[in-house]
Amino acid sequence: MDWEKLELNAKIINALKKANVTSARKILSLPAPDLQRLLHLSDSEVQLVHTAVAALYRTVPPVTALQLTLGEFPSLEPGHRLSFACPVLDGLLSGGLPLHGITELAGESAAGKTQFGLQLSLSVQYSREHGGLGAGAVYICTEDPFPIKRLRQLITQQSRLRPDVPPALIRAIRFSDNIYIEHTADLEALQKCVTQRVRTLLERGLVRLIVVDSVAALFRSEFQADEAIERARHLLAFSAALHRLSHTYSAPVFCINQVSDVVDGPNPGRCDYGLVESKFLPALGITWANQVMVRLMLRRQERSLTLGEQTSAARRLEVVFAPHLARASCLCGVWEEGVRGITQEGIVE
Amino acid sequence: MMLRTVCSSPLAPSVKVKLITAGFHTAADLTDVQPLQLCKAAGLSQEEADEVLRTLRDDPSPVQRRAAVQCLTALDLLHQEETRGSIVTFCSELDTVLGGGIPVGRTTEICGAPGVGKTQLCVQLAVDVQIPVCFGGLGGEAVFVDTEGGFVVERLVGVARAAVEHCAALAEDQEQRGALESFTVEKILSGVFLMRCHDYVELLAELHLLPDFLKKHPQVRLVVIDSMAFPFRHELEDLSQRTRLLSGFAQKLTRLASAQHGPAVVLTNQMTTKVSSSQSRLVPALGEIWGHAATQKLILHWEGAQRFVSLYKSSSHKDATVPYQLTAEGFRDATVSVSSFPSRSPAAGSHSKRPRTEH
Repeated sequence: MDWEKLELNAKIINALKKANVTSARKILSLPAPDLQRLLHLSDSEVQLVHTAVAALYRTVPPVTALQLTLGEFPSLEPGHRLSFACPVLDGLLSGGLPLHGITELAGESAAGKTQFGLQLSLSVQYSREHGGLGAGAVYICTEDPFPIKRLRQLITQQSRLRPDVPPALIRAIRFSDNIYIEHTADLEALQKCVTQRVRTLLERGLVRLIVVDSVAALFRSEFQADEAIERARHLLAFSAALHRLSHTYSAPVFCINQVSDVVDGPNPGRCDYGLVESKFLPALGITWANQVMVRLMLRRQERSLTLGEQTSAARRLEVVFAPHLARASCLCGVWEEGVRGITQEGIVE
Repeated sequence: MMLRTVCSSPLAPSVKVKLITAGFHTAADLTDVQPLQLCKAAGLSQEEADEVLRTLRDDPSPVQRRAAVQCLTALDLLHQEETRGSIVTFCSELDTVLGGGIPVGRTTEICGAPGVGKTQLCVQLAVDVQIPVCFGGLGGEAVFVDTEGGFVVERLVGVARAAVEHCAALAEDQEQRGALESFTVEKILSGVFLMRCHDYVELLAELHLLPDFLKKHPQVRLVVIDSMAFPFRHELEDLSQRTRLLSGFAQKLTRLASAQHGPAVVLTNQMTTKVSSSQSRLVPALGEIWGHAATQKLILHWEGAQRFVSLYKSSSHKDATVPYQLTAEGFRDATVSVSSFPSRSPAAGSHSKRPRTEH
């Protein structure tokens, strides 16, 4: 950092140079008494240093919410979302995935979570006017091998799923070339993948969506029950990395999570998010929940749905919490062409 | 004040050493000294000598100056508190518990599990602080420091629209109808200043700049930091550094709030699991020392499917627990009155002095 740029008198700048501190981060994270000792300056001078360095460090000045709604600061409020490629699902989520922050989808095995991940990896590739972000996706697998056959099938069925997009446009997108698949077998590989390879892909503009399928697998398998603190530490580091990437590149993060059964009665140490009737809750506890901005849950139901000639087991997609959404849910099914929500009128059982 | 020692003064260490070697130990020693004399006697530069005399003699430090004016009686303080007012929450039961709402000039911490409504309450307050004076509001503005990325403009617009409609329905006399003309959704949006921080360093930077910002925008009556826990629980693995930064932070916020025309400072905090012997329970994050930071603490929690808010720590009001709900309009009274709810809050006992394992 160039201290000459600071609007301070020469004496203070000399003190900064003499003390050999090089970064603004260091200065800002030092408490005032420490900084005073380091620079040999008086209280009021240290305060001046803090204010001047802070002013230089801040990238975006305070903006009013009105400026945000007018779209003057797309880096803070992009004003659009990543579409699920289905009007019913987009309706439930008020337009789709928010571009900033972590969205989690929790559900039992075979609920259809991966189908959502795949569908988003395709819809992100459309242009903005068709609900996408005009870039590819990175798909991080930690459990099962990537379902490549299903992806191929989805790609061939895109024109059926997206009647709103001109067929020529769909044919022009080389879907499978834009999905970068990462397999990580342990935590170290996962952390490395997120901080290095995923960052590079985002930096080059090749991808604008991160899918993690699933977060729970590694964190649940690598730690014993008594290693909760260690697990929390890793979980925080991982979510901090994702959070930062998401905000820097306006890229949504979609994390698939497992669930854990609720076997005992009420427990003061467990947060049930007001889901009293649920027999299971998202895995990884409150440490992970604190990092999630939008939490969705997918439940498989007993009955089945019919759409044209196809039938599918009914699923209920529920918004557990989100800063901008009410708690609501909709029915959906997994069809040949992808996941589709069903409005109440459309139910044929 | 004349007895103040040179050692304890806020001067640069090198200057203090020079003064003491020259035989100046207390402020009284410096009463009759001219700047030039001091230069010669202590070997200081003209500039330094001026500063020494300014700090130790003529100009009491800001802290002392405040102490000098604040020779107030309890009655004066009561008046002062009444004129400052408070921000209504739109949940009448909570307002009653708080004695009118979130007090201006104080720090309030809102704790709760993810999704229980911390951000919703903050957004509601950012709107409510702007309600015109003739409707019993403060007609102020709000600063919203967002560290989690949970501030969604769409939600603010919804809450603001509901508040405008609410006031429109209440308008009775000419004055109120006149005030409504300028109380629009757009006006509310332009009265909320957003600062987004991605890590604790950016948050500290904003805090250093906040006093100047408040000077430039004297209408600001509310500063929200949503949340404190998020940046401080990431990246900062050195717990002793975290504790020191947090206590410095708390001190700054308290000073900010208690200054003349200081705003209400509202902080949110996450919950964490605390395991003691065989039982585990949810307690506010950031450790025991941070628990002393705010003058009031609200804990939001679920009992079954119903949301409750507990006033957990307050110097002026009784602890209580009341139900609330979140609607499309914002933070509101629970529609179904719940008669038999437990008064126990989930974090009761988090003030015990036992060391805490934080996860």
